Amino acid sequence: MSENRLQVGRVLRAGVQGFVVGCELKQPDIPPFGSFVRASGITPGSAIYGLVYNVSLEDDLFARHFVGRDIDDAVIKDERENRQVPVEVSILAVGCAEGKILRQCLPPHPPVTLDWLYQCADEEVRAFTARLDYFRLVLDARQTPVDELLAASIRAAAAARPEEEREMFLVGAGRELARLLAGDPLRLEGLLRRLQTA
Amino acid sequence: MTLELSRLAGQVRVMGQQLATREREYADLVAQAREWLTQYADRGEALRHPARGFHAAIPTGEPLDAEFPLPAIPERFTFIAADGTEIQPDSHEIAYYYLINVGYLVYRHGSDQTPEAHSLPTIGYAEDDIYDRSRLVSGNLLDIKRDLAEITALADLCAAEPSDAVTIAVVDGTLIMWTLAGASPDYQREKAQVYIQQLEHIRDSGAVVAAFISRPRRGEVARLLYLASVDGDLKQADEERNPLRHLADYAVFEMLAPGARSALFASPSSINYDYYEKEGHTIHFFYLNVAEEGGAPAIARIEVPAWVAEDADRLALVHGAIVAQARITGDYPYALIRADELAFISGPEREALEDMVIASLVRAGMHAALSPKKYYKTLTRQGKRKFR
Repeated sequence: MSENRLQVGRVLRAGVQGFVVGCELKQPDIPPFGSFVRASGITPGSAIYGLVYNVSLEDDLFARHFVGRDIDDAVIKDERENRQVPVEVSILAVGCAEGKILRQCLPPHPPVTLDWLYQCADEEVRAFTARLDYFRLVLDARQTPVDELLAASIRAAAAARPEEEREMFLVGAGRELARLLAGDPLRLEGLLRRLQTA
Repeated sequence: MTLELSRLAGQVRVMGQQLATREREYADLVAQAREWLTQYADRGEALRHPARGFHAAIPTGEPLDAEFPLPAIPERFTFIAADGTEIQPDSHEIAYYYLINVGYLVYRHGSDQTPEAHSLPTIGYAEDDIYDRSRLVSGNLLDIKRDLAEITALADLCAAEPSDAVTIAVVDGTLIMWTLAGASPDYQREKAQVYIQQLEHIRDSGAVVAAFISRPRRGEVARLLYLASVDGDLKQADEERNPLRHLADYAVFEMLAPGARSALFASPSSINYDYYEKEGHTIHFFYLNVAEEGGAPAIARIEVPAWVAEDADRLALVHGAIVAQARITGDYPYALIRADELAFISGPEREALEDMVIASLVRAGMHAALSPKKYYKTLTRQGKRKFR
């Protein structure tokens, strides 16, 4: 898959813990909640990995005017395709890369404004989730719906694998969760239940 | 220092009271105007000549109090709206330049197509741009350029439409180049000719053209009614006090039913008669209630050239199409709102343009600096603050 097809949007604001990108509503591939994305790092060859934890549409007073009105399709198309509806995609940083070395920790620098954000291809997701150290970063990320995000990312990582490898991956993820949440069996149970839908 | 709102509180309170009082007084004047509208409804023919000398609305063949209900709206038609904004040149800036941005929306009624939304920004910086007959282009002179840019964009868009399409082009504002008032006759003629040429292009394309003025302050019909009340006697009209002198026409026509238009009048503007009339484009106008059934009146002044005003089908198209557009929002043509939005230049966009200009000058090896006045304004106007 070409890089262009995986472009999500451009970075609007950023910090080492996460960043926000802006994209157009008509874009067909706005990445879903819990999916893996990548932005370029400041140094050449470096990258920052993250998880999508929110997709939001900013309020628009003009569009509000039409709520409750019977409106033409042309107005809806104009609103969606022509007016600048700012869709914001929020990312939690969960790793970084220097060349081929992947680390599941906060990146040393945030990405730069207007850098492109890409959806990770299945191959990248498999490589990144060969280790599961990023679970702790997610569990500590209080600004996100932690358990939902972690479960969604595990499901996304499983889906990026061939069918015959998925169960083994999920069992490994379950074990890691059991280790991290040993003191909170109720929460662990809730997370494991969410994984059963994978 | 901040704006001391506390010092304004008393003034604003008095203002509110006085405006409310004036509104009540106006109600009596509106009643008087409507009474005269009915009483002198058939005096149009006799008033036509004196009206021109009195700068009052010039009656056409329609009774003054005529009210035309909403005509049938065509199932398919294209509504093209244009609006323009500008950045005035500033001698304190890095470079002397201006910007005209024309926004337009092409809305195809009766189709599923997404409206076409665009803006056409033009920067003027060359000697020929920033000087017009040796005068620096700013203020009114730039407004004239913007008016011409708007009508030219509309004419180009109309020409691009299929010849059998039903198309209406609408400008936000007026079709009369009021901005020429006060200029030399020679200059007026030159600019009016360019504008009229674009009106001709629109006519040749098979489209119709109109201007939409929301809540207009003009009182030409009110002047006509006063003139009628003195039997068209110009001397008496000049000598006596016109009780309707501050009454805006739109208040008189707030009695129009939703979707209905008033009678047609011709504009008494000298620019209209000196230039537009000779070319067959005399600007006429009517008032239109674009509100929905049950809504508060939303009166707009609609201007059309003679070749639209004198053609029943074209006039009905303008009437119906503008109401159809206004009904999308409830009381204002959707395409005009969008054209304004597309033309609007926000503060951050203005700053981004300034940055682009600076970068371009520096790359070209030019020293770029704000004037000292502008520099200090950038320091003091970032945000007002007060530490007590």
